[in-house]
Amino acid sequence: MSAAARRRLVTVAASVAAVAALVVLLFPLYAVFVASFETNSQLFGASHYSFFPSEFTLSNYRVVLSQQGSHVLSSLIVAVGTAVLTLAVAVPAAHALARFRFRVTAVLVGSLLVAQILPSIVIANTLFLVYHRLHLLNSYPGLIIADASYAVPFGILVLRAFMLALPADVLSAARVDGATEWRAFTRIVLPMSRSAVITVALFAFLNGWGDFIFALTMLNGNTFEPVTLSIYTYIGEFSQNWGEAMALAVFAVLPAAMLLIAAQRYIAAGLTVGSVKG
Amino acid sequence: MTPVAARARRPDQAGGRAASAVPPGRRVRLHVAARWVFLVPAVGYVVFAFAVPVVYNLVLSFEETSPATISHLTAPFAGLANYRATLGDAVAQSAVVRTFSFTVLSLVFQFVIGFALALLFNVRFPLRRFARSLILVPWLLPLLVTGVIFKFLFQLQAGAVNQVLQDLHLVAQPVGFEVSPGWAYLTVLVTNVWIGVPFFTVLLYSALQDVPVELMEAARIDGAGAWQRLTRVTLPVIRPVIEVVFVLGFVFTVKVFDVVIGLTQGGPANSTQLIATWAYNLSFQQFDYGAGAAMNTVLLVIALFAAPLYIWLNRDSLRGGLA
Repeated sequence: MSAAARRRLVTVAASVAAVAALVVLLFPLYAVFVASFETNSQLFGASHYSFFPSEFTLSNYRVVLSQQGSHVLSSLIVAVGTAVLTLAVAVPAAHALARFRFRVTAVLVGSLLVAQILPSIVIANTLFLVYHRLHLLNSYPGLIIADASYAVPFGILVLRAFMLALPADVLSAARVDGATEWRAFTRIVLPMSRSAVITVALFAFLNGWGDFIFALTMLNGNTFEPVTLSIYTYIGEFSQNWGEAMALAVFAVLPAAMLLIAAQRYIAAGLTVGSVKG
Repeated sequence: MTPVAARARRPDQAGGRAASAVPPGRRVRLHVAARWVFLVPAVGYVVFAFAVPVVYNLVLSFEETSPATISHLTAPFAGLANYRATLGDAVAQSAVVRTFSFTVLSLVFQFVIGFALALLFNVRFPLRRFARSLILVPWLLPLLVTGVIFKFLFQLQAGAVNQVLQDLHLVAQPVGFEVSPGWAYLTVLVTNVWIGVPFFTVLLYSALQDVPVELMEAARIDGAGAWQRLTRVTLPVIRPVIEVVFVLGFVFTVKVFDVVIGLTQGGPANSTQLIATWAYNLSFQQFDYGAGAAMNTVLLVIALFAAPLYIWLNRDSLRGGLA
């Protein structure tokens, strides 16, 4: 076989393999989307699964739009709140840890790395009791503070690494011009770190949006309920309402899909920097 | 991996400049205080959301808690009673063992599949970039949603997985993936592998990109076959990244919770209970916070095994700071 023919063969084989892998990896998403247009009797207890159903209904979406709007809104509030809190805590800290040399820098960074490792259930178990005393259960601030625990350590570490890579004369130039530390931070460091800030905000948003463990432990569903908790109540121990659960799941998946399309560069950047989710 | 910044020690160019009306001593003190102002929110947050929970968890694990003690921050001292009761329990013991096997199996499959896909994406073919970005989607979904989706796919009746197996004549009758203990474990494992593969793929792919072409060419000229080039050149070169993905993968899988709850709630007959889900069960379903805390301590100890390794891998980041 000639070298050119061989290369073509490799390309074809790789394409076929990639398509096969993608079909397997993405089939679950296709299944959710299709199922969201089917009735519960088609989805649960039916004699077989149909990959290309012939009948479609919009009734799941009708129900979800009329009953779940407030839950989607709650998820949005929590996700945006988580992103805002994460940035408010992480950006100044990252700046300080990049800009100044503290005696305790190693200790601070080390504890952030350890914080990234801590399992959320440990935090949930104890924060529940603390929140009970502080009357933070069933409240947005309480849930947002808990949800930020996914992204704050990650955010500080990512932002700091980014700021350390900024050219050194940027800051000193600002100082020569007589800018105060605060002005140098807001006028120069922050704008130059924009892409890292966006990455951290996106991850914090997705963490807040996707959180389940803190919502499950800290909300009783009487005040507000994010989408993850609603899906769980649809398909919990006592209920098997697949049609509506799948329509709601489409809503739950949407932000991830949209962000991937709109901000793929930032997502990929965050991932390769070493993100730990969950 | 972690972006290593150009961190050559730079002289503090701001030093010794611009005399001002404020006496020097006070200025320095102000300056130091100003530095800390940036850190106060983060330190406060870390103490509240990480340090307090860890310490309080330890305290709780030595207390005799009950629904009645919720309204107090402390409860009667119970010695090692929680640990004895919790760890002596068969469900807890099997949850610990299962967490180990689940984590090891997850990492093995995530690595093998992720590395295979990374090698695949390293070959030039049309739409490679598009495919590589699509592969990220599973990683971004809410974990609970993923669990629920797979619960749907693995259903006994009208389940897609059973349909495929039957269409391929691999099974005659639908498999009770979610009702038989052994299958339920496998179902959760498959789901967790599905979640982790994109992460492994993306990180390993970016490592493969950094393998020097000349090195591969030299090996080829020396007569090394594809397998030898893989094991003697590629793997040793990307070893640092492999270490990182394994540590992060371990940290990620050892605390798996959402997926199990979405899929099986730890059942049937506690056959998919992991340490995290059992701790949740003890605290929030049996309302025995002390026992839950004891279980959490076990999880904490196991998770913290990764800490020295994780810190060592990030050792460069412990230093630095301009001045």
